[in-house]
Amino acid sequence: MAPTAKRPRRKLVARPVTFSPFARSAAHIASAYMIKRQMIENKLHEFCQLTPNGECKCNDKRNIDETESDSDGESSEGVVQADFAFFDPKPDDFHGVKTLLQTFLDNKEWNLSGFVDLILEQTTVGTVAKLEDDDDDGLFSVVTALNLGRYKDHKCMKELEDYVLSVCHESNLVDQLRVLFSKKARDVGLLVSQRVVNLPAQLLPPLYDALFDEVSWAVEDEPTEQLRNSFRFKTYLIVTKIYMHKKANGKLGEKADSEEEPVIYVKAEDELFHELKNYVSMGLVMAVEADKIPTFRKQLRSLIDDEP
Amino acid sequence: MATRLQFENNCEVGVFSKLTNAYCLVAIGGSESFYSIFETELADVIPVVKTSIGGTRIIGRLCAGNKNGLLLPHNTTDQELQHLRNSLPDSVVVQRIEERLSALGNVIACNDHVALAHTDLDRETEELIADVLGVEVFRQTIAGNILVGSYCALSNRGGLVHPHTSIEDLDELSTLLQIPLVAGTVNRGSEVIAAGMTVNDWTAFCGSDTTATELSVIESVFKLREAQPSAIVDEMRKSLIDSYV
Repeated sequence: MAPTAKRPRRKLVARPVTFSPFARSAAHIASAYMIKRQMIENKLHEFCQLTPNGECKCNDKRNIDETESDSDGESSEGVVQADFAFFDPKPDDFHGVKTLLQTFLDNKEWNLSGFVDLILEQTTVGTVAKLEDDDDDGLFSVVTALNLGRYKDHKCMKELEDYVLSVCHESNLVDQLRVLFSKKARDVGLLVSQRVVNLPAQLLPPLYDALFDEVSWAVEDEPTEQLRNSFRFKTYLIVTKIYMHKKANGKLGEKADSEEEPVIYVKAEDELFHELKNYVSMGLVMAVEADKIPTFRKQLRSLIDDEP
Repeated sequence: MATRLQFENNCEVGVFSKLTNAYCLVAIGGSESFYSIFETELADVIPVVKTSIGGTRIIGRLCAGNKNGLLLPHNTTDQELQHLRNSLPDSVVVQRIEERLSALGNVIACNDHVALAHTDLDRETEELIADVLGVEVFRQTIAGNILVGSYCALSNRGGLVHPHTSIEDLDELSTLLQIPLVAGTVNRGSEVIAAGMTVNDWTAFCGSDTTATELSVIESVFKLREAQPSAIVDEMRKSLIDSYV
């Protein structure tokens, strides 16, 4: 049964200029400047609409009432438009994805390049978010789900497994984690989701929707039986960062205020994952059951829409 | 022989190290494996010195040097300066210079005979470079970039420049520098050559993302395949004896 909605496809716009290496280099410099400017100027008030060909267009409008961070003295009348689009991962995205995943395993030296290669090879499941026009090569976000069993022979996955098992301080959970990595590996998907720090939150529901939709499409569309089964995830493993209050014996406790909540989530959706039962560790590594995902999607949408 | 390595998961090896024919500087704070790879390669041939410059680890981009001397920016502390003077061979003149463009590694590209300099460099600095490093200085750009030190890597036997350098520019630079030049990339398509690798006459160190193709280009243009440190020394010995006679 073919899916009715098309999965996000790259727009094929004829732009002969950008095929020349010089133009790519010039565009790279221009985009680095533009991205920096937009990072500074982006304030978060936007809408998201799904266009017919499956892309998400987000319009950034500066909130005229917010004058607090007008540090460069520009008038706040200006409206900054940013159209984000989602693409399948391509080999060209190597440097962008690698930069985003630099701190994935904290400071450990591991085969990050190999890991990024794995992500980029899996074009059926996985999304990168970039700006709409093709001139930019700046990557803002990457999400993907890697089947632990399928890739478990790769050096980077072994290093990841060793690291995750070694940082887990609770012995009873270590055993559960170990089982996830070995016996149940075929049903476990490693959920990788990284983005630039101030990416508009409105992008998150479509981004996660794109990922989980691709997973369900892959289950139906992959050419071989083995590949199809590799996307039937029963559990998602998530490795992420939180700030845990010092008094609560956290590893990453940074804020010492007593009014602060015990756990501060760097990424908003982690809080939702954490509540959806079945997590395995101190909020750094979570295993979420796949059937909880629709609940997560609904909650995420309402969380983002309710935020001022 | 070219070696691939990383500094703390970062492939920009040329930022954290500086390699010349007479010494090698390495940033502190990296893992011991980074330091030991240099040690293994360079063994007893040249000293490998751990240092910081101005309290930072980006020493490769802040200093410029060759076998005759080493130039340091004005923000080098006195202790660092003293440490370097003590650790480097006596033949190497270590000099701290007052220059507005303090990232000397980015504005100066040099080997033992010629140097390329940023177009806006002070006249005094240019003279100091000629004095301390014993080179002829040329103000040049590479593929339109004024940061010559970043976009090319030079040794006495060859050079690798920014991939978008035109053929005319390549010829012109090659004539100036009197060495064969090739336009290429390092670290899987990165154009900032000098940040991604560091090289001398017999060995090179590149970031671990460098592809096999890039590595073979590097080994061929810098003539690293047959190179052994003793070969260089023997060549020098022959020429010394000739001139003496």
